Amino acid sequence: MTKKFLFCILIMTLSFGLVACVGNEYERRNDPTNTLYVGAVAASFPTSFMPWLSREGIAPTIASMLYSTLFSYDEETGDFLPSIAKEWYYVDPDGNPIITEDGHIDYERLESLYSVSSQKYLPVKIVLNDDVYWNDGTKLTAEDVYYTFDIGTNNALSNHAGALAWTSDLQHNYSNGILLRQGIFTYDHGANERGYQILEDEKDTVLYIHVNKVLGAITSLFTTILILPKHIWEPIVTPSNQLNSKEPTEETLYQYQHPIGSGPYDLDSEHSNAQVIVLKKNENYHLKNEQNGDLYQVDTIKFMLFQEVNVAIYALLKGHVDILDSTISSNYMSLFEGRDHIYVSNAEGTFIQSLVLNLNPATSEKNPMRDLLASSDVRRAIALAIDQEELVQNVLNGAGLTVSAGLMSENLTDFYNPDADILRGDLTQRLSEANAILDELYPLKDASGYRLFQDHRISFEILGSPGEQEVISRLQVQLQKIGIEVKYTAKGSTPERTFLYNSKFDMTLQGVIFSLSNLDIMYRAHFVTLSNSSNYGRLSNLTLSARIESMRNTLNLQTKYDLICELQPMIAEQYYKIPLYCSNVLTVARTDRYTGFVTVNGQSIFNTESLQNLTLVSEEG
Amino acid sequence: MQKSYLIKRILYAIFIFFVVMVLNFFIPRIGVDDPAERYYPPQGNMTDVEYDIIKQVTREQYGFDVSNLQQFLNYAKGLFQGDLGTSFRPGNPKVSDLIAERLPWTLVLSVTNLLISLFIGLMIGTIAAWRRGRWQDTLLLNMSTISTALPAFFLALILSFYFGFELELFPAYTNPNMVSGFDWSWEAVKVVMYNAALPIISMSIGGIIGYGQGTRNAVIAVTNEDFILTARAKGLSRNQVIFKHTLRNAMLPIVTSLGMSISGLIGGAVIIEQIFNWNGMGTLFLEANNTNDYPLMMGIMLFMSAFAIVANLVTELCYSLLDPRVTVGEKR
Repeated sequence: MTKKFLFCILIMTLSFGLVACVGNEYERRNDPTNTLYVGAVAASFPTSFMPWLSREGIAPTIASMLYSTLFSYDEETGDFLPSIAKEWYYVDPDGNPIITEDGHIDYERLESLYSVSSQKYLPVKIVLNDDVYWNDGTKLTAEDVYYTFDIGTNNALSNHAGALAWTSDLQHNYSNGILLRQGIFTYDHGANERGYQILEDEKDTVLYIHVNKVLGAITSLFTTILILPKHIWEPIVTPSNQLNSKEPTEETLYQYQHPIGSGPYDLDSEHSNAQVIVLKKNENYHLKNEQNGDLYQVDTIKFMLFQEVNVAIYALLKGHVDILDSTISSNYMSLFEGRDHIYVSNAEGTFIQSLVLNLNPATSEKNPMRDLLASSDVRRAIALAIDQEELVQNVLNGAGLTVSAGLMSENLTDFYNPDADILRGDLTQRLSEANAILDELYPLKDASGYRLFQDHRISFEILGSPGEQEVISRLQVQLQKIGIEVKYTAKGSTPERTFLYNSKFDMTLQGVIFSLSNLDIMYRAHFVTLSNSSNYGRLSNLTLSARIESMRNTLNLQTKYDLICELQPMIAEQYYKIPLYCSNVLTVARTDRYTGFVTVNGQSIFNTESLQNLTLVSEEG
Repeated sequence: MQKSYLIKRILYAIFIFFVVMVLNFFIPRIGVDDPAERYYPPQGNMTDVEYDIIKQVTREQYGFDVSNLQQFLNYAKGLFQGDLGTSFRPGNPKVSDLIAERLPWTLVLSVTNLLISLFIGLMIGTIAAWRRGRWQDTLLLNMSTISTALPAFFLALILSFYFGFELELFPAYTNPNMVSGFDWSWEAVKVVMYNAALPIISMSIGGIIGYGQGTRNAVIAVTNEDFILTARAKGLSRNQVIFKHTLRNAMLPIVTSLGMSISGLIGGAVIIEQIFNWNGMGTLFLEANNTNDYPLMMGIMLFMSAFAIVANLVTELCYSLLDPRVTVGEKR
């Protein structure tokens, strides 16, 4: 019996051995072609490439490579860089550009023309590049832009909430499929009748749009909306077969899966599936490099799906992929130390971790301990006791930076205000200042050294996720030095609804990213709006709110920058969202096949600049 | 077996299915006031009025614009027409299509695992029972202790790293072209076997030891019966005693375990599939979970539950057929 059993085991082992002879297929190792293998850690890959429908995981990255927006955005300078369009201007009511003699926007004139005018919109002229083609060879024209914006606002055709959100700044409105107010004008769509002169030879490249009367209104229209080919979608999209219909027709599904775009890459549908996506360089892409050569240097990109981050990291270490398009925790860094052909990109991040204090809970959520946080002195003492350097060293293993109390990155040099950096300085001095404040308010302490309030230890719970326990335990030690106890409490999977929107918490951790492109929305969401917003601690400061509204509504960019500078110290002095650190973006690539990876602030190593700069090692040799 | 017993069991299974359907529908909705806000947080400089329009569009689009009860009735109506709903993912594929696409790949792993576990488990369990107290028995007991402490996903990671990444004997993760390139040719079957090797080994080690332990205990219990002594006294060979008398009578608890294994066939490999990038039901469920794709989640859960209910029903019926001593529900 035992012998037979052992014989069976032997047979099974041999069968597995025979199967093993199939051989390994890690094709990257022997691939001499200019193909970049990108490991993506995601739950799934998109199988449909209609850009408006792809919101999860890697889908937006893929969509942005297949399609183009009007402009791209330079976060550091706030400039719009050419993409499908090459120029834009605010225009006066006659359609003439409002520009200075040296070609820049004349904000003073813009302000004088429109800030007190009864006209409720800003007119904008957009000039497209005249050499942009869809990858089926059709020329991209102003009519494609009209079609895209128009269908985005018309829920009788698109029925797509995302598109409506992105176009909400456009003053072009439909009701049940009937155009109520036109806000996009081309040669074929009433520009000349509206008083905007477009010559016949400009008809493919010039259009005008009407946007809400704030400077930030153009940002999402210019840089978020991927332009769709009218000639593909117009014939098949109808009120009965809307874009994103729940029951798309065969033809619609085909178009979802075989995208016609104008981006730098085309989808290789034949070799793509639910676990690998192959993109081929669009040889006719209109943007060129300085030598008038191809802007993108990689011919083929293969995205490979990994569902488990450890497996993805080993796949990179063993040479199955060239690069991982996902950030790596600093805890993993020792895995890469001392290895050949490994490049770790340690880019400065934009994500600021902050400690939010619930300073104004809803009446039903008030309690004596939370009332303490209403005092700006108590909040200031807590803020002074926080040692950002220690958090950066121990929580991020050094891969991060300390942050100004104005919550603005120092990289944003145009409007970073150093006056808001009021929490730096010698820690011992800060602690003694914090203790002095609290000694005056709550001098009594218990046997463990914690301060007492109405005979109870001053103690707060910090709402966090299991991954944030390390930060919270560090905060426990730091705040113990001023006699305040903090404890971790789990926030669960729906913290907004359960705790945050109804102010049912003492403190919580919150990541914030402020940049010029999002300040109009984010400042209001974080510091003004009281319900269902990121203003979890319900800060309500009329002066601050009024300045934020002024910043949002000014039509003068310099005034806007000045107000942003002015707002930072005001935000810092609330001691409401106390900065803890700004974590770096850690990503990893292999350098045995490609060189020329470019580290860009706030981005992973798989970024546009890397793709424009990579060189195959064999070609370089 | 009486007809009334059969009907009673079937009605009971239908009742359980209905309860599962209700729970399956309402549990994902607990704690979510307005799903539209989760799909589309406020964007741009939109006004509250514009945002309300957007939320309304989202509600209509996904059928959240009616009461939960109405939504449930619509859902139940769809189910009785064989419609598990439409996924939120781009292109809005039918949930049933997605399940049909992934189910065979999960069955490749789980059915193979079950057969291997059962076959080897029965053998080593029988050997251990007949060699009670000897090294074979001690080895099985020790392996059982280790296997209890070693979860399958941990074993999967170890196997993936050692045999996949380090030794490169087997793929550390599934070849991305395995599914799309499958055409029933011998080459394609070999590729599937090759890619399935490590996931199946990770899953089946625990199964083998589990079945081994169960068989051992059942066989030992039967071995002490008088009829085995009689069989031996009649001069039957050892194999005849084992296979004709002992194993057959020890099958009852094994069939129970088998029934439980069958009911867990579809949902039992979620983490293993994730580690090995295996494109099956487990990863489909994780995808649905990570993207808040409620219809897909509900569809998968319901399908798994229905499968488990049917498997349990069949097991119960087999139970009474296999052992004449079991007369559940029958009147004497």
